[in-house]
Amino acid sequence: MSSSDGHPSHTAHHHPNLAGHFDTIQQQDYAARLGMWLFLGTEVLLFAGLFLGYTVYRHFYHETFHHCSRALDIKLGTINTLVLITSSLSVALAYWCVKVGKRTWAIGALVFTILCAAGFLCIKYLEYSHKFHVGELPGKWFRAEELMQFPAANMYFTIYFLTTGLHAFHVIVGMSVLIWVMKGIIKGRYNPDYYVPVELGALYWHLVDLVWIFLFPLLYLI
Amino acid sequence: MAEATITDSAHGKGGEHHHSTKSYFVVWAILLTCTGLTVWTGYKDLGAWNLPLALSIATVKASLVVWYFMHMREAAGTNRIVFVTSFVFLLVMIFGVFGDLWTRSEMSLPYHTPTTEGPEIQVPEGAAAPAHHE
Repeated sequence: MSSSDGHPSHTAHHHPNLAGHFDTIQQQDYAARLGMWLFLGTEVLLFAGLFLGYTVYRHFYHETFHHCSRALDIKLGTINTLVLITSSLSVALAYWCVKVGKRTWAIGALVFTILCAAGFLCIKYLEYSHKFHVGELPGKWFRAEELMQFPAANMYFTIYFLTTGLHAFHVIVGMSVLIWVMKGIIKGRYNPDYYVPVELGALYWHLVDLVWIFLFPLLYLI
Repeated sequence: MAEATITDSAHGKGGEHHHSTKSYFVVWAILLTCTGLTVWTGYKDLGAWNLPLALSIATVKASLVVWYFMHMREAAGTNRIVFVTSFVFLLVMIFGVFGDLWTRSEMSLPYHTPTTEGPEIQVPEGAAAPAHHE
């Protein structure tokens, strides 16, 4: 009776990373993954509000959005897209390396990913500082003479700064998460038997890439 | 590792199989190509087709990222449903608002020329400038 009453794995295969409120490591991993996907779902909905604002204003001021998007630097936007896609690849490789036990390679791939994130932010800084310089700013701060002729031109830049700003904030958070994951790998906390935190950190970084995949054409290429 | 490709290892519980890194690089190359394509079409004036085309390419790219990089193809069914549901609600929200936008009459549109000044105040002939009250 005592051998089969709900605590099947306490003595049999006790995993060092198993929290007390889970029965098995599989159950714990399942809960962690589900929680992460739920969180990513709410992130999609968070950005959905901004995409909706974009949709409405673009509908009303179609011409304005077309002309204002020409004020953005497509070259820098494209470089940033390539940087994020490549960082998405390297974080996927880092995850794979942890899974198969290639620790040094995993650390290398994560360092590369974090450098890509920093590069993205630097390019974003260049773009922002140019916008501040020429006065292509949101709302009442808008003072770009050559775009004044288009109605609601400031709304385009309001949406530009809100969407890319929230995205840049996610880049910073993602960078911090990846640094934390990398610290764990260096300390030997993650290995082929326990890598879910690496997986979830990588998932967050892919979401950052995902949002940019839609922001880039909608803001730069219309 | 080298024998595994994109097509095999389609089912698993994340961890039991180690497919090669080849699929990651293939997906990466496709993503780069798609980016080049969307930039190229972005420079062209395709009229009404610009937006649907750009969104289609973005959707293809996003699907590849979710399916391969985020390992949705290995994810448990619950996780797939949870994530895809958020996109369903995104579409419900956007198309719900579009229903409003498309069916509005002209008169209820907001003013198309924003002004930085308020409406002009009509001062009656011969009257002095409006007095300022406390």
